Amino acid sequence: MIRTDAIVLHAFDYRETSRIVRLATREAGVVSVIARGAKRTGGKFGQGMDLFTSGAAQIVLHPTRDLHTLGSFDATRARPGLAASLARFGAAAALSELGMRCAPEDGGGAIHDVLVAGFDAVSVAEAHEVIPRTVTAAWHLAEALGFAPTLEHCAACHEALDTEESVRFAPRAGGALCARCAALAPGARALPADARAMLLAWAAGEEGIPADAKVARAHQRLVREFLEEHLADGKPLRAWRDWEMNGGHAESR
Amino acid sequence: MSAIDELITELSRLPTIGRKSAMRLTYHLLRQPAAQSRKLAEALVALVERVRPCDTCFNLTEAAQCAICVDARRDRQVICVVEEASDIASIERTGEYRGVYHVLGGRLAPLDGIGPSHLTIVPLVSRVMQAGAREVIVATNPTLEGDATALYLSEQLRASGATVSRLARGLPMGGDLEYADGGTIVQALAARRAI
Ligand SMILES: [Zn+2]
Ligand SMILES: [Zn+2]
Repeated sequence: MIRTDAIVLHAFDYRETSRIVRLATREAGVVSVIARGAKRTGGKFGQGMDLFTSGAAQIVLHPTRDLHTLGSFDATRARPGLAASLARFGAAAALSELGMRCAPEDGGGAIHDVLVAGFDAVSVAEAHEVIPRTVTAAWHLAEALGFAPTLEHCAACHEALDTEESVRFAPRAGGALCARCAALAPGARALPADARAMLLAWAAGEEGIPADAKVARAHQRLVREFLEEHLADGKPLRAWRDWEMNGGHAESR
Repeated sequence: MSAIDELITELSRLPTIGRKSAMRLTYHLLRQPAAQSRKLAEALVALVERVRPCDTCFNLTEAAQCAICVDARRDRQVICVVEEASDIASIERTGEYRGVYHVLGGRLAPLDGIGPSHLTIVPLVSRVMQAGAREVIVATNPTLEGDATALYLSEQLRASGATVSRLARGLPMGGDLEYADGGTIVQALAARRAI
């Protein structure tokens, strides 16, 4: 039995009264747990197991299985702000999907901390802040997973890159490429100097807002392509793509 | 696969029924008079063949329209939107509500790949427009996904002129803070209003 800070990434009903919940935890990484009786209102989990809610969890870890048992979950912070706009809701789902792709051994407690910071930032974001804050959290997640992109040196030959220079960005190669290596990497995207500067600022923990919505959307796509390349199972990030396509179903506005 | 194995497999797909219970039920059905088991089979066939979604509100019915939609005493200007047909029973039990319903067939759930096109939102909007409904009460579940769905509906219905409201939530009336679970208190705090 461990006691740990945790955040609910996803939950679905299981049998008549239980739910299976994917949690990002500080002590045990990202794990799936069964919450017996969680569907009953007034049960010991109450309303506390809603999406993107933080709490203190007690988990019985089964060393030989992938599904552990949730003993209790005391909610400490709900994030209703994430449903206060469809853009925030779509972004939160996209972030959650990234967390769900992580394995228990990935990044340790850092994944939990990155996601909590990301959900907190998005839950109070103004419309133009939603994409940059979510993208920042996604890059921090890549860093926590140990595959932050190379931005100041060529990812292939390690030659230093001039900060004034527009370069190419190749997810498969692991980041920015010098002109020589980019010629050998077809399909690499152009990364203008100011976009690269913004990536470096985000990596350093600064808040940067892209000049306009078009630039923001380019960043949204860039980090998604990078993560799809590097997350273990290589499957498309469906919720992220949905959010990218219509900003959390905002297309009709 | 033998008939016995097939039934056990099918029964064990049902909620709350594990393989052991499925076996026990199967052998029970074999022991009882054949006519009794045949009745169960016929009831299942009738269920599958006769029950369908209401043309108007997507509630479950055996006719083109459900009993609530054809009831002349119900107020058609007020539409209560629920996620599932089974939610209607909970609201009907209170006896407080005299309007009609609309069953969405779920809620927006991007993590499960469920978007607006998977729900009966387009029929709802045209229904509200056509009926000139005065109020739409969104009674999706008190969850983040239920809230996002309510928000989406309110945006889709803005042009209709109908008032869109949401069920209130938080601490149950007559409840005691001491016995409320942490989640409920956290929700109530987050949804607090100035007085
Ligand atoms: Zn190079
Ligand atoms: Zn009906």
